[in-house]
Amino acid sequence: MTRTTWVLGRLLQIIPTLLLIGIAAFLLARALPGNAVLAMLGDRASDATVDRLMHQMGLDQTIAAQFWAYITAIAHGDFGTSTALRLPVLRVIADRLPVTLLLTGMALFIALLLGVPLAFLAALRANRWPDIAIRTVFQIGLSSPIFYLGLILLTVFAGWLRWFPVGGYGDTWPQRLHALFLPALTLALSLAAVIMRSLRASILQVLQAEFVDFATAKGLAPRTVLGRHVLRPAAIAVVTLIGLNVGALLGGAVITESVFAVPGVGRLMIDSIFARDYPVIQGLTLVLAVLVSLAFLATDIVQVALDPRIGPRFGK
Amino acid sequence: MPQLTRRATIALAATTALATTLPRPAQAAPVRGGKLIYGRYADSLFLDGVNTELNVDIWVLNSIYDTLLLPTQDGAGLKPGLATKWDLSDAGKTLTLTLRDNVKFSDGTPMTATDVKWSLDRARDPTQGAWNSLLASVASIDITGPATVKLTLKHPDPTLLPVLATFNTGIFPSAKFMAAAGTTLEEKAKSFAEHPIGTGPFMLTEWQRGTVMKLVRNPHHWRMAPDGKPFPYLDALEFQVIPDDATRLLKLKAGELGGSEFIPYARVSELKADATLQMQLWPSTKINYLTMNVRPKLTDGTDNPLSNVKVRQALNHAVNKAALITITTRGLGTQMTSMMSKATPLHDGTTEPYPFDLAKAKALLAESGVAPGFEVSCMTLAGSADEVSNMTAVQQMFGAIGVKLRIDQVDNATRNARYKAGDFMMRNALWTDDLADPSEIASYILYSPTIQSLHSGWKDDKVDALFLASQEEVDPAKRAAAYKQMQDIYKAAAPMLFLYESPYPVAFGKKVQGFLQIPLGNNFFDEVYVEA
Repeated sequence: MTRTTWVLGRLLQIIPTLLLIGIAAFLLARALPGNAVLAMLGDRASDATVDRLMHQMGLDQTIAAQFWAYITAIAHGDFGTSTALRLPVLRVIADRLPVTLLLTGMALFIALLLGVPLAFLAALRANRWPDIAIRTVFQIGLSSPIFYLGLILLTVFAGWLRWFPVGGYGDTWPQRLHALFLPALTLALSLAAVIMRSLRASILQVLQAEFVDFATAKGLAPRTVLGRHVLRPAAIAVVTLIGLNVGALLGGAVITESVFAVPGVGRLMIDSIFARDYPVIQGLTLVLAVLVSLAFLATDIVQVALDPRIGPRFGK
Repeated sequence: MPQLTRRATIALAATTALATTLPRPAQAAPVRGGKLIYGRYADSLFLDGVNTELNVDIWVLNSIYDTLLLPTQDGAGLKPGLATKWDLSDAGKTLTLTLRDNVKFSDGTPMTATDVKWSLDRARDPTQGAWNSLLASVASIDITGPATVKLTLKHPDPTLLPVLATFNTGIFPSAKFMAAAGTTLEEKAKSFAEHPIGTGPFMLTEWQRGTVMKLVRNPHHWRMAPDGKPFPYLDALEFQVIPDDATRLLKLKAGELGGSEFIPYARVSELKADATLQMQLWPSTKINYLTMNVRPKLTDGTDNPLSNVKVRQALNHAVNKAALITITTRGLGTQMTSMMSKATPLHDGTTEPYPFDLAKAKALLAESGVAPGFEVSCMTLAGSADEVSNMTAVQQMFGAIGVKLRIDQVDNATRNARYKAGDFMMRNALWTDDLADPSEIASYILYSPTIQSLHSGWKDDKVDALFLASQEEVDPAKRAAAYKQMQDIYKAAAPMLFLYESPYPVAFGKKVQGFLQIPLGNNFFDEVYVEA
């Protein structure tokens, strides 16, 4: 097996996963009481109007017929039209997805920027005051609900200090990075806490390993020991954590985007669920599933690169 | 001065009297130019009056499209719009409309009688939208001159003039609409609404769905400001969508928004005290109430205590509405005195139908013969602070007469599904009129054939007959008498728990002047300006 066939094999495994998720999204969306017409028309519509619109949208067909229509359309690359926005689903998602990717990307970057150095600091000063201070602050970050943390950051840094705009997005790149900083920080804090705690534990564990003693005894500079012999094994834990948390980041984006009025797919998902906008719920679930699956694959690849013992044996 | 019907003249006189008391601030000379950023809690979905039912669309459509007549500031009367004159003849069975000269759409093309006929024909097409029945009395529409259009009616219709001032009868450029992408009218409506063209004061230039809607001045708008140039004063109007109340208010306080809709009542006094802001509470047609299912059996087959009129009256007497007004609206609401708001034409009533009276409530409950200690449930919109606050208070108030209340928190689509299926005992509801006429609310709440009196299952043959007759009654006094009778019967039967009326709370920066929200809810930005 070569690396390429291994990666291709892993990519192929995503397909049945997506199929199952697609079916689940289809069924779960319809398991919700009500439907797009009832959500859209409000409480005044007459039965005749509801029936006419349900017929137009194909909602009067059996679940099986709707499922077949959905599957055949997807097979032709047609994700349908949003019932609430009356726009093609792919266009709606394409408009919003870059915003969420930028937000989660920034959050990941901030989480690493905070989590990794502080983990080293905490581990090297284990159980002394820097360690205790860092762990206390992150414990608060980890245990605060995102919407609450977001509001506090908004009130302090945007409302009082006026360092940042109060939510929203921007028209230019500098404006967007500026506007997304607070939501990204909000989203990053809990992940940074997880990274910090886990990396700290790994470092402590590695520091006690015999090969570290050996490296130190060999006379290597402490910096070299840390960089070459401690960071590399500990990094595997961080990569695994990030991979596992991509889903959580996207989930957190749902709430963060609502608090900060960021027009990403998180808010789109909430709006679509309230509007019973089945085509968008289904399309978005699939797109997010692809993203999470690709993140898992990327995690595996990086893990194998960091520690070849983990992966399969690659032959020539 | 257009020729008015007697009723319209009375309404107009009443409007002029009212207008002087309403808080539309007239400062020094308005300033032209500038931009207003207005925060909204949700984005519009479909900018087509024929095909939308949602306030997020309806309340902004009037910035882009005009109607033949326009509602007056009190939302109860009519004034000239794209028509300058309207004559009812042939015992109210013919309406001749004289169109305003030199009206142009925002793309510069002139509005013609063809556009008017085409727009009204689409609005009354039974296959289009949910509002076509508003024009059901129209038999035919004919162009009788370059600037006159004649509507021939099947029967006299007192609601027709208010309907011609309602969003679904907005005038579209027919050729441009028909040239839009798509084959069916619905598909064309979809593509046209992405880049709407109307005669209103603003035109849409950019729309990022769910985020921002950018409008600029329509240079061809017809309505003249006192300075001799056309409205609007603003060069640009931007709607930013910020669903979270706290974030939206923070943005307003930081000066990033010039104004914001839907200020939570709990924050009104705080904004009133803020020297950089002005808090405005616009009189509304908004009523908050609980609909009661009055059917003898519930969907699960059990007996429904609410089918007993004495139980419904008892529950009404058990609720202290003044307390709810204080708790939920922070004293900003007022008591309901009928099933429709005091701002709705032909409203009748000066006192609340069921004043808070525990002794009377207990006596009625004893008389009802229903075994005490029963439980009722009420569907409440999850996440609605107002409804949850009302229901927790009502729960205690019901407790005082030995009735248990279960609060079912559900989302909107769930609530509508159960509502439509009659699968509920009580539900929280609010209503705002869209029409400067009582027939809309009456058709839903009083007249059972529309949707079984708000899906309550309540039906009164006398009321149904009175309503049908009132829809063809052209004598204003007789129509008012019929409305009084219908309201009295409804009050006595109490298929709803009357809660309160509440205003529209909006806030602006100190320098923003001239905003108007009429009781029907429509937002008017044409006279808005930002002081230097």
